[in-house]
Amino acid sequence: MRKMTGLERIVTTVKHQEPDVVPHFEISIDKKVRDAITHNPSASYADFIEYMDIDAINIYDKISAWSYKPLSADNKIRQDQWGGIVQFTTEDLGHPMVPAIKSERDVDTYVPPNPDDEWRYDELKSLVKRFKGERAVIAHITDIFNVAKESLLGDVGYFENMIRNPDLIDRVNEIISTYDLRYVDNCLNVGADMVLVTGDWAMTKGPMVSRKHTKRFLAPSLRRIVELAHSRGVLCLKHTDGNIWPIYDILIDAGIDALHPIDPMAGMDIGEAKAKFGDRVCLMGNVSCAYTLSDGTIDEVRQETKEVIRKAGKGGGLICMSSNSIHSGVKPENYVAFVKAIREYGRYPLSFD
Amino acid sequence: MLKLNEISKGIIEGDNEAVLELVKKALDDNVSAKEILDRGLVPGIRKVGELFGAGEYFLPELLVSGEAMSGALKILEPELTKTKVKPVGKFLIGTVQGDVHNIGKNIVAMMLKGNGWEVTDLGVDLTPREFCSEVEKGDYDILGLSALLSMTMPAAVETLEALKKAGLRDKIKVMVGGAPTTQEWADKAGFDGYAADAPTAVEVAAALIGES
Repeated sequence: MRKMTGLERIVTTVKHQEPDVVPHFEISIDKKVRDAITHNPSASYADFIEYMDIDAINIYDKISAWSYKPLSADNKIRQDQWGGIVQFTTEDLGHPMVPAIKSERDVDTYVPPNPDDEWRYDELKSLVKRFKGERAVIAHITDIFNVAKESLLGDVGYFENMIRNPDLIDRVNEIISTYDLRYVDNCLNVGADMVLVTGDWAMTKGPMVSRKHTKRFLAPSLRRIVELAHSRGVLCLKHTDGNIWPIYDILIDAGIDALHPIDPMAGMDIGEAKAKFGDRVCLMGNVSCAYTLSDGTIDEVRQETKEVIRKAGKGGGLICMSSNSIHSGVKPENYVAFVKAIREYGRYPLSFD
Repeated sequence: MLKLNEISKGIIEGDNEAVLELVKKALDDNVSAKEILDRGLVPGIRKVGELFGAGEYFLPELLVSGEAMSGALKILEPELTKTKVKPVGKFLIGTVQGDVHNIGKNIVAMMLKGNGWEVTDLGVDLTPREFCSEVEKGDYDILGLSALLSMTMPAAVETLEALKKAGLRDKIKVMVGGAPTTQEWADKAGFDGYAADAPTAVEVAAALIGES
């Protein structure tokens, strides 16, 4: 089989056909890990993608396309573009402190960020120019559940109002969804190859909210993004941590093309997922970044990677990825071993056939 | 005569207003605060925990029930203090260094309080030294560490190590929990207890001090 481009590899596997080799990319890769591998601190994220010959690059909206206003001298406390106050620790992403909307009256006067700001697409434009046709350029969008819980209403406010004031949740969801759809549309106009929607719907134990609330509050906006992506002929991938067994059908019915990460820490087995719904969506995952990639030996990384490909690679429908992201605790040598193992064990036809 | 199981029902349904009204009425009817707690509130919040454990309740239901419980406890606290009702135990809780996610910690704290524990919430993003300092000066039975991110799990182990180095490890039982953690990891790291969710945390805490 001829060597495919990263983009071809991903599109082929998502269509449940076997590419030349199981594709790989990550939602994010920590700079410390990247620098330790390239020995070049001035290398950009895109340089690293090229250095490791990774099949896709994900443009994380919170990093590349959100604005923040510093609120503390050390810049660790900032107000995000939605008005939420966020604390930044040593990791890349911020964590919510104070939500923007404290009462229903705040919604009446709320002014959302402008998705048409040109600067939001600068990074995407540059990556499209650099990688178009070779690697999949993925536009990432943080979903309504995440934005509402972390920036607009706060997690307690969002969860409680699902029961106490569902109309408020509908109004907040509509604000975010309107922005999201416009943002995705603009990303596709700029040349993004696919869309990745993140936002955790589940915890280790199970879904955060009931099936009824998942269908009522979370699924409709995902479906709208999927429909927009599909209307433009591009794929829509979805990430959610946690044990999604009780709600996986809702996610799939929203029309997504691929699902990440089939969370092993939540007891999700990728072989079982392949058997139950692997014919309906492409699976993305699920080598553990909490244990194996962080604390395991290179041999353990290779064995787990091999096992994931053995369980879920047959017939395509697998993008081999970590169980979340390559965070700062991942051993750089383990990440390198992971990528090498995918290319070794993931060559089609698979040797386990 | 007010039936205390109506208070339990209000807690289970997360009906804040009904619970507050019923608790006030019970006090007016000279029902003791301890009886309202033991026969009204605690059975209610235990049932909520069971429903959560059984996958029938989720975070929204848990939170509205917890809110109803907290409101009722605020009314009862002055009475409980007067009658010197002894807490089940003293629990110190906080999220580990680098982790500012507090919803899980807050739900655990709420469930513990609802089950008669005295809870001191240290907050979020706490260094091992801050945990050690509080353990040293306080008189706690259990320290609960919350780590909601894969990348902050090592900070929980570092806190445990810091307690050992400070000679405080024997003074307190240490529990851990949070989305990426597992029983196997907690056992390997040497924690005394692990809980995957808030209702389990209440059971494990009780077992650790011999109250189960």
